[in-house]
Amino acid sequence: MANHLPAAPKGSPLHAILSLIVPGLGQFVARARSRGLTILASVLILGGLSIWTIAQEARFPNYELSFSIYVKLVLETGFLLVFLLSLRYLLTKFVFRDPAAEAFGTYGIAILFFLALILAQEPILSMAGRPEDLAQVYTGTALYSAAALAALWFWQVIDAGRVGALADENKLPSMAGAILIMCLLIFALGYNITDFDLPKAIREYKDISILFPRILWPWKEAFAYDQEVVEEFQLIQAPCPEGESGPPSNEPDPDEPWISATPTCGEIGVRDLSGGFAPGTELTITGGNFTPGMEVHILWKNPIGNPFVPRGVGETDITIDENGEFTTKLSIPSVVIPESTAAGAQIHTLVVREESEEVFSLRLSDEMKLALVGILETIMIGLMATFFGILLAFPLSFLAARNLMAPIVLPLQDLVGSIAGLAIGILLGAFATGQIAPILGGLEQAPIPIFLIALLLVITLGTLGFQWGGRLLGSLLKNLGTNASRIISALILGAMLAVPGYYLGQAFSRGALSIVVGEERAAASEVLLAYAGAVVVALLGISFGLLNRNPRGIPFGSLIYAITRTILNIVRAIEAIVYVVIFVIWVGLGPFAGTIALTLHTIASLAKQYSEAIESIDPGPLEAVNATGATRLQTIVYAVVPQVVPYFISFTIYRWDINVRMSTVLGLVGGGGIGFLLIQWQRLYQWELVGISLWLIAITVATLDYVSSEIRKRYV
Amino acid sequence: MLKVEHLTMVYPDGTIALRDVSFEVRKGEFMGVIGLSGSGKSTLLRCINRLLEPTEGKIIWQGRDITHVEEAELRAVRREIGMVFQQFNLVKRSSVMTNVLSGRLGYTPPSWSLINRFSRKDRERAVTALKRVGIPDKANNRADELSGGQQQRVGIARALMQEPKIILADEPVASLDPVLAHSILGHLEDLNKEDKITVLCSLHFLDLVQRYCTRVIGLREGRLVFEGGKEDIGQLSDKRFKEIYGEEAQRLGAR
Repeated sequence: MANHLPAAPKGSPLHAILSLIVPGLGQFVARARSRGLTILASVLILGGLSIWTIAQEARFPNYELSFSIYVKLVLETGFLLVFLLSLRYLLTKFVFRDPAAEAFGTYGIAILFFLALILAQEPILSMAGRPEDLAQVYTGTALYSAAALAALWFWQVIDAGRVGALADENKLPSMAGAILIMCLLIFALGYNITDFDLPKAIREYKDISILFPRILWPWKEAFAYDQEVVEEFQLIQAPCPEGESGPPSNEPDPDEPWISATPTCGEIGVRDLSGGFAPGTELTITGGNFTPGMEVHILWKNPIGNPFVPRGVGETDITIDENGEFTTKLSIPSVVIPESTAAGAQIHTLVVREESEEVFSLRLSDEMKLALVGILETIMIGLMATFFGILLAFPLSFLAARNLMAPIVLPLQDLVGSIAGLAIGILLGAFATGQIAPILGGLEQAPIPIFLIALLLVITLGTLGFQWGGRLLGSLLKNLGTNASRIISALILGAMLAVPGYYLGQAFSRGALSIVVGEERAAASEVLLAYAGAVVVALLGISFGLLNRNPRGIPFGSLIYAITRTILNIVRAIEAIVYVVIFVIWVGLGPFAGTIALTLHTIASLAKQYSEAIESIDPGPLEAVNATGATRLQTIVYAVVPQVVPYFISFTIYRWDINVRMSTVLGLVGGGGIGFLLIQWQRLYQWELVGISLWLIAITVATLDYVSSEIRKRYV
Repeated sequence: MLKVEHLTMVYPDGTIALRDVSFEVRKGEFMGVIGLSGSGKSTLLRCINRLLEPTEGKIIWQGRDITHVEEAELRAVRREIGMVFQQFNLVKRSSVMTNVLSGRLGYTPPSWSLINRFSRKDRERAVTALKRVGIPDKANNRADELSGGQQQRVGIARALMQEPKIILADEPVASLDPVLAHSILGHLEDLNKEDKITVLCSLHFLDLVQRYCTRVIGLREGRLVFEGGKEDIGQLSDKRFKEIYGEEAQRLGAR
């Protein structure tokens, strides 16, 4: 659009008209195929998105209505734009005749267009629909996104003219104008979808300005305060059975604070179901030797000793006179007598409590101590997750390194033998574990030993099976000639693949088919589909074996590489906080769930980073060590590991840094650490405590950030 | 001792690096391979110990076709074939001792070497090898602390650890200055004469070829275009020279 508009006279009217009817058609016909399709797709997607977005104003979106209003708005704003452009054309041509006026080009028109939209908002909208219809859409967003779409439409008409007149297809004009318009349109929609409301933010600044000081300077809550408390008691009996006079009234004490009440035996206040309240016997309470001018508080303790503030039975906050004395009246409140103590005399306690002013002490408050434990927990979650992450990421990273895996090519018979051996090894390992587990007392008794045994057996037997299976089949088929050995290997491969094929068919029936035809019908055909799956997959395997003509064999390494990378990418794509939501079901709320979740994410992230470090090593030493006759594992230990150690250390420390940052939020969803406290305090509106958590997080993260970057500097 | 028959090597991207190359290396020879860079010298050497898989042709090592032997056998073959590289290919962050010992990996049970354990005998052998190349005092230095010439000596010591029957040297002196070049080639000549280790060595400079080699083959664009004794090189006519090095080549290297 930065070119001088209108440029139509230079262009091809035919193409322009085609694009006016269907966006992008002119360009498409002019053999700028992808340009035309891009324009059409953009107009359809952006228009559709706009219509969907503006309809969300109504509780039950009416998309037809939204569509008609939107189309009308596009037409109206389109006419407005064309009007402004023609005006400018006429003015520059006949009135000003000054080249300088040309400077008032596209930007001027854009500003004018925008101003016109603001000024003429009401009439444009009222033309687009009746007020009750307009009330069902976001009118502001509708207007501006429609205007942007109109501009886009107009731009592509002009563009079609230009493209149509172009001799050289390779010199397409810039699409910068269209991209700018699209960005504006997306911005208008985003403004709506995110409920972006700057005026509200400014209007309600007070809400946050009250909060901010409490969060930013929360340290009062970080310390414990000393306070002297004086409590005096008078025992009262209620209800008062016939002939009882209750406990004795206290006598005034000459030196110490004292209280007494009369009578000491009376009836309890009664609250009826309709909310009415009849106070109990009125007591006269007197006291002395308190601090003059201080306020004392009256509490009532029921017969089992639970204190509460009696309401609606008299004044409970009383100011002491200059002699240190007071007198007040209080009716016995309504007290529920617990059944367990219903027998015998019911003795209540009247408490008068004087609290001195709070005095600062250097001790930490209980909340601060909790927060410190929380942040320690957070750091440890990050540490543990990193540690366990390394253990698994390290071996995985070698499988995910292309330069190590790509050269691994196995002859078909070796591969088939190895996979068969691996499967047999794993099954044997699982079987053996199943035999050993009851001897140790089952999973309940000895989960860890059984897990370790399973791991050890499966890995050892699997590896052995992989190695020996390949060698065995390789040597068995060696003397049969290429073709025979190929056919036999392919058949074995097919037979092996039939097993996963069976389960694949079953899974298809249960997972996909049942969604479409319902569970009952899917269940009826489940067995059939399972066998069909087995046959199909087996045939695929056989044909793969037969058709593979690569003389050196199957690129097994590249296959493993691709699978590992894919899995890592998927696992890494999901944030730890999402895993926590799932894992709290498994191991319960708390730091353990957070640690497992973070570990999972760490494994994938670190393995990816490690493998990229491996891929960037100098291949020379690899080649040299390989040439000495070293095995693959030896090559890795002697030529790869020494080269990647500094990168691994650097990545690991960085990951720890990231993990601590991540673990601060894991608590929000129950993963333990400081976030767990933070979210509880936030829900109680204890903003000082929220502030303390935020400060601790900020301090910890900043410190770690600094430390980790200092350490990393030393290694890379 | 080593026979290469109709060797052709095509890279996966379609580049033809070697076309139907055949020659024979006899026991005890110091054979030179000459040719421009890109003529296939490095590819040829790497095909012999199967760091690269040749596309067609055969490699006969001590009367046995090793073109398609598998993993375990290949290890056994490779440890008889030492290799020295233009860029030395040492593990820079490891000590000289570890680098030299890694030459012994083909003989070491894998599980032992994983924890950096070599037998006392191997360690003694490594010290002897370092003495042999004249840098016994550098054993505990990191490889990247050494100068280029010293690094190449470590490379030779590493090859020596294999007790090789042949050493493939891929432009062993191209990254070094002329004085060092003579010293390094001197070590190879010494191994050739004293230990009767056959040497197959690609070289850039014709005067080095004349000084050290007993026989020479020449490659151009992957084809074998020259084969002869060292006398033949001295008598190379300009025409023959250009056949090897291409039309535009100047006789700079020969001096």
